[in-house]
Amino acid sequence: MASDKQKKQNDRKQPMQYDIALLFPVLFLVGIGIVMVYSASSALALKKFGTSYYFLKKQSIFALLGIVVLVISCHIPYHIFRSLTYPLLILAAMLLFAILISGFGYSAGGAKRWFRIAGFTFQPSEFARFVLVIFLAYSMNKKMNRIKEFKVGFLPHVLVLCMFAVLIMLQPDFGSVVIFGAITWIMLFVGGVRISYLLGSLVLIVPIVYSLMVSADYRIERIMSFMNPWQYSADKGYQVVHSLLAFGTGGIWGTGIGKGYQKLFYLPEPHTDFIFSVIGEELGLIGVLIILGLYTVILWRGISIARNSRDAFGSFVAIGLTTAIGLQICINMGVALGLLPTKGLTLPFLSYGGTSLLMNMVSIGVLMNIGAMKKVRKRVTSDR
Amino acid sequence: MKQIKLRVIIIGAFFTFFFIIIGVKAMYLQVFRGSWLSQKAANQYEVSFKSSGKRGTIFDRNLREMAVSIDVTSIAAHPSQIEHPKSAARLLSKALKIDRKVLAKKLNSKKKFVWIKRKVTPKEAEAVKKLNMEGLDFILEHKRFFPNKTLAAQLIGFTDIDDHGSEGIEYNYDDDLSGEVFQYTVLRDAHGRGFEAEKMTGLSSSGKNLVLTIDSTIQYIAEKTLGETVKKFSAKSGMVIVMVPKTGAILAMAHVPLFNPNALKRSHRKYWRNRIITDPFEPGSTMKIFSAAAAIESGSSSPSSIFFCENGAYKMGKHVIHDTHEHGWLSLQQIIKYSSNIGAIKFSAVTGSEYLSRTFQNFGFGSKTGIDCPGETAGNLPPFRRWTKVDAGTISFGQGVSVSALQLIVATSAVANKGILMKPYVVQAITDHNGRLIKSFGPRRIRRVISEKTAGMLSRIMQTVITEGGTGVNAALEGYSACGKTGTAQKIDENGRYSYDKYVSSFIGFAPVENPKIAVLVVVDEPVKQHYGSIVAAPAFKAIAQKTLDYMHIAPKRKTDKVMVSLRR
Repeated sequence: MASDKQKKQNDRKQPMQYDIALLFPVLFLVGIGIVMVYSASSALALKKFGTSYYFLKKQSIFALLGIVVLVISCHIPYHIFRSLTYPLLILAAMLLFAILISGFGYSAGGAKRWFRIAGFTFQPSEFARFVLVIFLAYSMNKKMNRIKEFKVGFLPHVLVLCMFAVLIMLQPDFGSVVIFGAITWIMLFVGGVRISYLLGSLVLIVPIVYSLMVSADYRIERIMSFMNPWQYSADKGYQVVHSLLAFGTGGIWGTGIGKGYQKLFYLPEPHTDFIFSVIGEELGLIGVLIILGLYTVILWRGISIARNSRDAFGSFVAIGLTTAIGLQICINMGVALGLLPTKGLTLPFLSYGGTSLLMNMVSIGVLMNIGAMKKVRKRVTSDR
Repeated sequence: MKQIKLRVIIIGAFFTFFFIIIGVKAMYLQVFRGSWLSQKAANQYEVSFKSSGKRGTIFDRNLREMAVSIDVTSIAAHPSQIEHPKSAARLLSKALKIDRKVLAKKLNSKKKFVWIKRKVTPKEAEAVKKLNMEGLDFILEHKRFFPNKTLAAQLIGFTDIDDHGSEGIEYNYDDDLSGEVFQYTVLRDAHGRGFEAEKMTGLSSSGKNLVLTIDSTIQYIAEKTLGETVKKFSAKSGMVIVMVPKTGAILAMAHVPLFNPNALKRSHRKYWRNRIITDPFEPGSTMKIFSAAAAIESGSSSPSSIFFCENGAYKMGKHVIHDTHEHGWLSLQQIIKYSSNIGAIKFSAVTGSEYLSRTFQNFGFGSKTGIDCPGETAGNLPPFRRWTKVDAGTISFGQGVSVSALQLIVATSAVANKGILMKPYVVQAITDHNGRLIKSFGPRRIRRVISEKTAGMLSRIMQTVITEGGTGVNAALEGYSACGKTGTAQKIDENGRYSYDKYVSSFIGFAPVENPKIAVLVVVDEPVKQHYGSIVAAPAFKAIAQKTLDYMHIAPKRKTDKVMVSLRR
């Protein structure tokens, strides 16, 4: 009995147990990501930077940093974020505002989305996405009893979303806005906001989204090319067509790592937006299904953490972070497979991109912390 | 809390649903559409590539280069990879001096590959390389260069932009000269750069070389002299052939006006062809050599047989045939020496049309010589059965029959070669890129046309032509004996009648008489100031033959006394 008690006390001293079912797929994906980023980017890197290892080196550094921030964040009790909500919200808004001011922002491809610090780029919208989840979780948790009221449960959250949306649209980064909106919508749904408000908001948003699409030529072209990529294969449907060709070439078993062709300047951004196509070509259907399986495990863990959280705040944060990761996966893969119109979104854990990888690792860390807290609580209750 | 849990599961179901769609779509693409898509992909990154080896060199008989291929750069573009077609067009048009609009059109096209400019100068290539533009391709090609410019241009011909012969020897021997063409598949990235397959540039793919029978020095002598003659008499054009009578090897084929095949566009297309081979003309009195050959060979006449020359006017039916000088009785030898048309009619009438026709045919008239040059004409020798009496008469002195300049010199060479007709040729050897012999072409005897005895008699008759009183005095050489015959043919004008102011003046001959080393034909078309072959063409023959024999180090035998008096015709 005494030794048993001793053991349980030790357990209590060690409140953190790593969620292997969540951690393993993440680390595995990050590992595959490093290999595939190298495979996808070596030709591009050689041409642009004179060394084929350029993206490999950076992605490896990010992966190590990512593991560090994952470990740190899973040891931070997630309740701290509740008290940090407003400072984080202000910081995120300031960062988004700052990159719009010339001199701060670093633009690529016509959009200002990054800060440049000591050779590394930082993308504030990735950070803002995390903050949005925290804010919504905090706010919904606080207003739980009046969540059905329009002015309390719906309007304030939508206003914060609009603030972010406006700042991000100015970059412009339409894809991120869509993700932000979807996260908010899903979180409000989970939080218990009236379905009529949510459906009503969809009715209101459709014309807005439509007018936004028509306002920018490149967006309508993307839509057109999505409808019929082969007809536009010479210019606008080019990306999708080459992505489809990559999947087709890969077949069941793939061409083998490093042996794909579509990454050789046929696919734009083969190491970020279209890394899934490179995987499809080089690792084949087998690789695609393995990746899909790993993501399924991650989402399943996220969702069960959300279900089993000891409090509503934890549930909201967990479902928000899981949704954010899940939506990125769905949209990125959907684009690569020609199911959705082209959006510039990365594939979590796999794509090249420092901010994206770090913020997703932080999300996993926080999820693990929420998951662990539930266990601690359970044990505490059982002790009584 | 319970409601939250339920809604979370709904979200989970949503993701599950979408993941299934993703999995199904991936399976559809990778399993069911796999082969179609991968074929389509292969079409994009597999580029079949044509690479042709360097075209062989054309040498003259002393291995001096007459046509060579040099490496040049051609600039092509892959329009889909040009980021800013507008500015690219502007920069390229500046560097290459081509129209910007044309370029912009090319760069905006949907083609995978367009030529920007082929065979650019090194300077232009350098300027474009400096632009460091993406989507451009620098392709090694070969350009034909003719180091002697106009020399023997009509004979050698030239090549088109794709390095294939389109005229002359270049055309006729295109298969030998062309480098081997390799077609192989390379995998290319989207920028059009090849990867995986290294560029194959085998030396063995170079084309073969040709060694001509042409001597560029003799060619130069011929062209220079002919040019001066044509200019002096304000003629339309002129031709000269120099041939070795014993072998059929052509030493020179000169045409005036000249043209420079390095700058084709600056000359008129009508000067490009090898008229010696392609253009038939009425030869006039030079034909009397072969009429005399028929007369002697048939045994119907001997050089001393005499004929009455009707004092310069001979009525045949409605027509009256004139001689330039009035003659009474002349021997066959004298008829040739003084070039009497009436005399030729008279002795040919004795020979008979059939025999005359057959002799002409045996000399090669009316059929192609089979020389290794493209576009040869057979001339026109009407069948003797259709000859009227007048026809038979005029044909005997070279009107009413058309021949090529080549046929004329080949036939004359048979006289010089003791009666044996040789096949003319201009290519004597084909060698590989190391200069090793692959194939050689030697003299080819076609047939004996006349007996050696008849040939000897004809030579002596032709020798008298350039002695005192003959029509060819102006052709007499210093230090060498020579044979010859003048020709002055009226051209047929637009109305189909013989013109009184358009002539073809010619002189044909060979030297030295004892051992003929060269036969030379000079043809001057439409000389204006004078039209007699004796005045227009004979001096050119003399200049060419004299210089050529000197150049060939043929030992002079004796000094001819300058003959001052000359007869026309």
